[in-house]
Amino acid sequence: MSTKRTSLQTRIARHIAFAVVLSLVASALVLVVFRHRSVQRNMERSAQTYTSMVCDPLVTIIDFWGSSGKAILDQEVAQLRGLNADVNRLEIVNVRGNVLFRSEGHSLVVYGDGVNSPIIEDRDLSRAIAGLEPSTSVVREPTGERVYRVVAPIVNQFGAHHFSLVATFSYADVDRQLRNSLWLSALILAMGLGLTQWVSMMLARGITRDVERLREGVQRIQEGHLEERVSVNSRDEIEELAEAFNVMADELLATIQRLREANRELETLDQTKADLVANVSHELKTPLTALRGYLELMTDGELGGLPEEALRAAMICRKNVQRLSLRVEELVQLSRFERYMTLDSAREEVDLSAVLEGVIDTFSPRLEESGIEIEVHVDTALDPLQLNPEQVERVFFNVLDNAVKFTPQGGAIVVIAEEIVRNEQTGVQVSIRDEGVGIPRSELVRIFDRFHQVDPSSRRRFGGMGLGLSLVRSIVEAHRGSVWAESTEGSGSVFYVWFPRLEQSTDRTDQTGPSVRLETAGAGKRVSEEG
Amino acid sequence: MARVFVVDDEPDMVDLLATILKADGFEVETDTDGRSALARMLADPPDLVLLDLMMPDLDGMELLKLLRLDTKGADVPVLVVSARSGHQDQLGTLQLGANAYICKPFSPRELVRQVRQLLGATGGEQPRG
Repeated sequence: MSTKRTSLQTRIARHIAFAVVLSLVASALVLVVFRHRSVQRNMERSAQTYTSMVCDPLVTIIDFWGSSGKAILDQEVAQLRGLNADVNRLEIVNVRGNVLFRSEGHSLVVYGDGVNSPIIEDRDLSRAIAGLEPSTSVVREPTGERVYRVVAPIVNQFGAHHFSLVATFSYADVDRQLRNSLWLSALILAMGLGLTQWVSMMLARGITRDVERLREGVQRIQEGHLEERVSVNSRDEIEELAEAFNVMADELLATIQRLREANRELETLDQTKADLVANVSHELKTPLTALRGYLELMTDGELGGLPEEALRAAMICRKNVQRLSLRVEELVQLSRFERYMTLDSAREEVDLSAVLEGVIDTFSPRLEESGIEIEVHVDTALDPLQLNPEQVERVFFNVLDNAVKFTPQGGAIVVIAEEIVRNEQTGVQVSIRDEGVGIPRSELVRIFDRFHQVDPSSRRRFGGMGLGLSLVRSIVEAHRGSVWAESTEGSGSVFYVWFPRLEQSTDRTDQTGPSVRLETAGAGKRVSEEG
Repeated sequence: MARVFVVDDEPDMVDLLATILKADGFEVETDTDGRSALARMLADPPDLVLLDLMMPDLDGMELLKLLRLDTKGADVPVLVVSARSGHQDQLGTLQLGANAYICKPFSPRELVRQVRQLLGATGGEQPRG
């Protein structure tokens, strides 16, 4: 949830702002365009009015120019020009195209009869000058300026048309007004933008407030506060969503409570079962001990000689009691197996050499009895590992038990513990070599399977249900280690247990399954169980 | 002759243990009740105690604790006889002050071996035979 994301509020605000700005810009543009047009039309209309209005006075002025003098003329024309600010130039042209009078800026030229006057060469203008109707057009001056030209015929009192007035008007003022409106719009837009940002944030907050409340509720539930509920009164989809969310949270809480209860019941049941197994095994073991003890005393002749038939019968009893004892022990093992599998592997610093020493100690009576030697080589520089001590003890107990069971009288078992790097990971490897009959190649992989035995008949010889090594594998895998076996025909087997050094128990680079290596086939038979 | 005190609530077990030990030449005293056994042991400490763990009233663990608290019983070697075969159970009793542990069902030979070992190790009187 902590990754950089754009909040819903910001996104909605952006959308609102975008829409508002877009409409502002559009309306401003439309306004500016319309305003520009109307200003231009006004200017053109007043230009036409002006032209028709100044025709007569201008002709009168020109008619009398010789008598009133140039200064008077200047004054009169300036007065006429002052009536319209847009006027650029006023010309009086005769119908042949000769310019007789031209007033441009502050200069005023009167060409008189037209002998020395400039001649209009523009064909459209000539035609307009010759025409009897007033005409208007937008043209470009030689300087490139766009201007409005009005041509008005001057008709005397006899109805004769000898001259036309050509008035040229500048668009400069119209353009200036356009620029001003554009600037004004831009200014309003800029102010609008700031306002829009604020308004859109406010609007977005209103919309997202409920969503945010919903999100907080989800987060609280995620953090384990299952009693958390969301209250939203927006009367829209968000409120529906919040209600659905609350219902879901109720369901979740109810389900979890049901599961907890069920789990508690199961735990109680499991404990009852474990107690039952422990009690049953105790109840079974005590009578078995009496049976076994007396039968051994009888068959060993400690209680006086028995008739041959009776001795044979007692021997059979003794053998069967022994088998029964093994089955009972297995029952206990089985109940422990399940406990191990459900046990949280609480890890602590474990000194492997101490564990090995302790486990080997428990075997010493059996070893003495069968004359088996155990050699232990532990790397002195072994650092403690993070393991579950009880489980690790069980691993070595079961593997050693297997080794002791299959090593013949007077044989030797070699245990080596050393630092070994496997798959680029440091760890400790313990190898346990026995002098048993070896394991057939085809069986090497399967000896770690639950309830697997190399040869069903070996159960009778060695006892067991095939749980020991599968328990070993389960525990080792739970520690992300490996267990595998190698075997050489006739000279025995080597079991390898490797535990990694885990820096952090959180890293989840799961090792895939147990590593089981097939080396050499052994001809002998072997069970995978402890006695 | 070493004197062994057998405490077990099962009369048959008491009988078996006594038979095995007597056959091997030990002097045996027995009791099927924890409290009276403790009183007798403290009154006249034996050379070795064979102790069952699961007993009604006063169980083996409690008895062991009380025995070790008394100066007379503090040094008496105790061999625990129990149906519990777990490694942790064994460690638990050893921590309480038991000297050795034997799991049911055991063979008579193993029992005798352990008893002899304990008597030898604690400097007790060696039995004949």
